[in-house]
Amino acid sequence: MIAVAERPDTHYAVLGLHPRASREQVEKAYRFCLEMYGEGALATYSLIGAEETEAARARINAAYEVLADPVRRREYDAAQGLASPAAPLLPFPVALPPLAPSAPAAAEAPVAAQAPSSVPPPPPDLARHLTGPELRKLRESRGVTLREIALVTKIGVRFLEYIEEDRVALLPAPVYLRGFLMEYGRAIGIDPRGTADAYMARLPPKA
Amino acid sequence: MALSVPVAPMAARNRRQIWSVGGGKGGIGKSLLTASLGFQLARMGKRVVLIDADLGGANLHTCLGLPGPERTLADFIQRRVERIEDVVVETGFSGLRLISGASDFLAAANIKHVQKVRVLNRIRALDVDVVLLDLGAGTSFNIIDFFLVSDVSILTVVPEPTSIENGYRFIKSALYRRLRGVAAHDGVRKIVDAALDPKNPLAIKTPFDLVALVEREDKDAVAAITREMAAFHPRFVLNQVRDATDVIIGHQLVAACARHLGVKAAYSGFVHYDDAVWQSVRRRRLFMVDAPTTPAAQEIRQLARTLLQGESLGLPW
Repeated sequence: MIAVAERPDTHYAVLGLHPRASREQVEKAYRFCLEMYGEGALATYSLIGAEETEAARARINAAYEVLADPVRRREYDAAQGLASPAAPLLPFPVALPPLAPSAPAAAEAPVAAQAPSSVPPPPPDLARHLTGPELRKLRESRGVTLREIALVTKIGVRFLEYIEEDRVALLPAPVYLRGFLMEYGRAIGIDPRGTADAYMARLPPKA
Repeated sequence: MALSVPVAPMAARNRRQIWSVGGGKGGIGKSLLTASLGFQLARMGKRVVLIDADLGGANLHTCLGLPGPERTLADFIQRRVERIEDVVVETGFSGLRLISGASDFLAAANIKHVQKVRVLNRIRALDVDVVLLDLGAGTSFNIIDFFLVSDVSILTVVPEPTSIENGYRFIKSALYRRLRGVAAHDGVRKIVDAALDPKNPLAIKTPFDLVALVEREDKDAVAAITREMAAFHPRFVLNQVRDATDVIIGHQLVAACARHLGVKAAYSGFVHYDDAVWQSVRRRRLFMVDAPTTPAAQEIRQLARTLLQGESLGLPW
């Protein structure tokens, strides 16, 4: 565990999370903490009084509200000095623009243009094409290991490696691969559908 | 299985280890857990001696399907036999032996410190790999002292309010007893003693309150106290779990210990409630032998591995 996580007063510590925790981990830790301090919860009712339980719940909710919101989480990280310049936390989910704008998406375009400017657009080439090594870079920039993804998604580490190595011949049928990619995207906190679309767009159609 | 994280690596050089199984409350399966864990360690090639110190009644032999042994630890304590080896009996399982019948030993209020030290020294000198102590119910000083000198201190709880309350009480008693041992002087010792009484006039409710008071009393004494707190690693085993919600409680106990007691506990494993186990108990047979394919038996095997490696179950995310 790195030093920042040892600070007991951060939102991360309140939820028992690593500062690089994925969106999904935030969600799970939040549910765990809520149960732990729930009404008459076995693990805490005899240790702390009603007031302290209520205070604990309030802190958990406050932590969750920030960490579950990509913009607020990024601001919080910056304010706490948690964002290291070497590994910038990507806003998540990263909004990957649709590959071929469909009619409804086009209709929404003006609204999207007014979206808060604090979310930097993803590198344009990621939008249309996402290679395995690029995926790996995205993952590593967030400090998520393949093993962590495997644990969350139940996808074997081997398949995750194939995806990142672009070993097309070893990858499963497109319908499965799409599911894997969406899970992968979700686990590292980028738009699942966009991830799958951008990765699969490069693949030759299977004979 | 979840990620495993190291807690406190066990001393690698000292192969001979004392493990103890406590729990605070009776009837939560400590004896059966001790017997099956001992059985499993023996199957993994360890030379194991089980010691029955259960106040509620020595019954470890019954868990192993043995008749009440003729020689017990009491014979050694009262010097009817000279060597502790003379009260060790075979269990019929390879590598697993038993010292039985110390039901009056730890409960005895008048047990002398020298007696305790003598027993402990002889236990430590036994030519085995693991001495596994069934401490039985209660939080008396003698029970807690054996818990504290153990290399691996296992705390059994079941997912029920009374058991968990007792488990926390056990941890607090053990911690305060430990802190008392490093108290620099009477001023600090008085604070620790006060903490043992839940209605103490100093209003100490948690170890954090205690540390704050010690700090006010004597700034230099705090370091020893916090060091001692950090070195205390009770290991939870959650027995008789029924579903996934119960399994999660073990993680909550560890988190609650860290946040509200300042104790770094571990979650070593869980064992499912199982009718097959109960039926084996009725037949006075060890379920590890009678029903080796049940989830409970598999979980005991996993538990033995986790404890040997000094690990804790990690959160499943």
